Amino acid sequence: MMLLVVGCSHRTAPVELRERAAFDQDRLGHALDNLVARYGCEAVIVSTCNRVEFYLARPDALVALDAERIAEFLAEFHELSAAKLVPYLYEYRGPKAVGHLFRVAASLDSMIVGEGQIAGQVKRAYEVAHERGTVGPILHLLFQHAQQAAKRVRRETGIARGHASVSSAAVEYVRQVFDHFGGKTILVIGAGKMGELTLRHLRDLRPQGIWVTNRSAEKANAVAAACGGKALPWVQLDEALAKADIVLSTTGATEPIMTLERYEKIRARRSGPVVILDIAVPRDFDPRIHDGDRTCLFNIDDLKRIREQTLQDRLKHVPSAEAILADEERRFLKEWSRRKHGPVIARLTQDLEAKRQAIVQQLLARLNGRFTTQDRTYIEGAFRLLQNQFLHGPISALTEEAHESGSHTLLEALRKLFRLQD
Amino acid sequence: MERITLFCFGASYAVALALELAQLLWPRAVQRLLAALFAGAGLLAHTLFLAVQRPPLRDPYGSLLFLAWILAVFYLYGSIHHRRVAWGIFVLPVLLGVIILAALSGRPFDNVSEGWNLFSLDAEALWRILHITFFILASVGICVAFVASVMYLVQARRLREKALPSQGLRLLSLERLEEMNRRAITWAFPLLTAGLLVGMVQMWYGGDGLHEWTDPRILATIILWLVFAIVLYLRYGYHLRGRRVALLTIMAFALLLLTLVTQHSFTAGGAR
Repeated sequence: MMLLVVGCSHRTAPVELRERAAFDQDRLGHALDNLVARYGCEAVIVSTCNRVEFYLARPDALVALDAERIAEFLAEFHELSAAKLVPYLYEYRGPKAVGHLFRVAASLDSMIVGEGQIAGQVKRAYEVAHERGTVGPILHLLFQHAQQAAKRVRRETGIARGHASVSSAAVEYVRQVFDHFGGKTILVIGAGKMGELTLRHLRDLRPQGIWVTNRSAEKANAVAAACGGKALPWVQLDEALAKADIVLSTTGATEPIMTLERYEKIRARRSGPVVILDIAVPRDFDPRIHDGDRTCLFNIDDLKRIREQTLQDRLKHVPSAEAILADEERRFLKEWSRRKHGPVIARLTQDLEAKRQAIVQQLLARLNGRFTTQDRTYIEGAFRLLQNQFLHGPISALTEEAHESGSHTLLEALRKLFRLQD
Repeated sequence: MERITLFCFGASYAVALALELAQLLWPRAVQRLLAALFAGAGLLAHTLFLAVQRPPLRDPYGSLLFLAWILAVFYLYGSIHHRRVAWGIFVLPVLLGVIILAALSGRPFDNVSEGWNLFSLDAEALWRILHITFFILASVGICVAFVASVMYLVQARRLREKALPSQGLRLLSLERLEEMNRRAITWAFPLLTAGLLVGMVQMWYGGDGLHEWTDPRILATIILWLVFAIVLYLRYGYHLRGRRVALLTIMAFALLLLTLVTQHSFTAGGAR
């Protein structure tokens, strides 16, 4: 088997280059067809915002293919300069290519370690290639195994635990205060971009209602329409604050919109607790209103602390994830070796078995009558032992060589030495 | 079976608490499982102890041990339903505290037959059992409210300090804890009232005179009832919530302990 990975990622190439080298869904199929037609190999292209990678495989050697050839292909396809692409490309062959795909699928090679999107993107890349008919037995087995390895890493380690974005971290604080969201109301103040992402996560909690207020009624209406909420006039802000359970504030105001004095009047009218997510910079709420009991106020720095902690925690799980992937890599190579060498080993064993039986029969026929039954059994056993010891060397060599790309040569040598026919 | 002592199940619960504390420092899923297993073993021994030795419920010793048994069931229920929450850290100390109080109150000299024998009960004994049952069930409610209140205060403190949710103690949300507290005191109050009323009726018809009304345990129970009435009035009448209700509940729990360790002056030293 010859397996090759050539590509560029956020680790090796700037975003400007990755953008230009990426394949959209429409052109991906065309690129796959081109690759297969040109190089006669199996092919899968993983193209995301953080990486563009070519996975190529052939049962025999892929000697002619390397990073330079792929750079030429990319340059031709995207009308780029091949010479400018080459320095950003990396190349892995054989077991290293297997290990690389496993790390990518398990998101150990991602910008945010443990993020969940990449596993789906790898799966989608495989599915597109499969639909296009550019996947053969090698890449089929490889990608199936990569998906299993990624699942095992997520299941057996804490690599995907916690919230890795500021917007999702907000939900973690909200859940410390509230348990049920069916009867809760979210009040959105302002219409900042950051607020949109956070609101998306809050909407997943399925609140009873969403109110949106903004100094500009037009913007309030737009945000309310986008999230299925209700727009409120800016003058009703205090009234809404007295009733809302979760407040998301993202205005572009240069001064705090809610001073302590103003909020104290609202606090007196409130009955239940409130969580205020003030993700505006500069902040919209006076930090002194936070009491950790009836009013819980969290600003952008508090949410960033959760994100940083999550990322730190995830890094602690990288060694155990790497160990799982190393184990999965061994299992894949063993499985592949079994599939690839199985027929040759079976043929070799059958061949020697037939020869042994013929020689033993001949010997026993010539010496007929001189041996007891016990002697015959002993002679047959001795020949079988000789055959097994003879086969042990080549079979072990094949298994051991499975971790290296040279096993193909050994297989060919065995075929020639023992005159094994397909 | 008769060789099971208070130390057997007390030690099992103590080991479970030690494992829960170890879980805080070195989080391992197996520790929480072991804690539940030890508590389960303790509960089994506790159940056998109560079934075989049948300590009289009208004495602090028996009523405290029965209360501890219900708290052990409550701990196991919580550790199964809220596996990731540091449930044991809050429930097990209360449970152990109640067992220690039982041990300190001393075992009464009653013989076994003075315990529970449902098949040979006269009307007076039936009223007495009803009185004790109401009171113990109310005590369970107060204990649950206490645990919820302590958890609430700890959670509120973590939120005030903006502690990272993924670090330190994992607790239920403020909303859930407040709800648990509300339900517990709403159930405990009618039970406490019923227990008190049954006790009064029993005393009235017992014909022992009004001097029994100055009995320390009755006085403590009446004060406990008054505190609870105030908590409920503030909770529903003045919509008092959060930390202040939690603090009042803790006060009520302290009064409950006082009531539980106080023996009826007219039953002290032997069966009435």
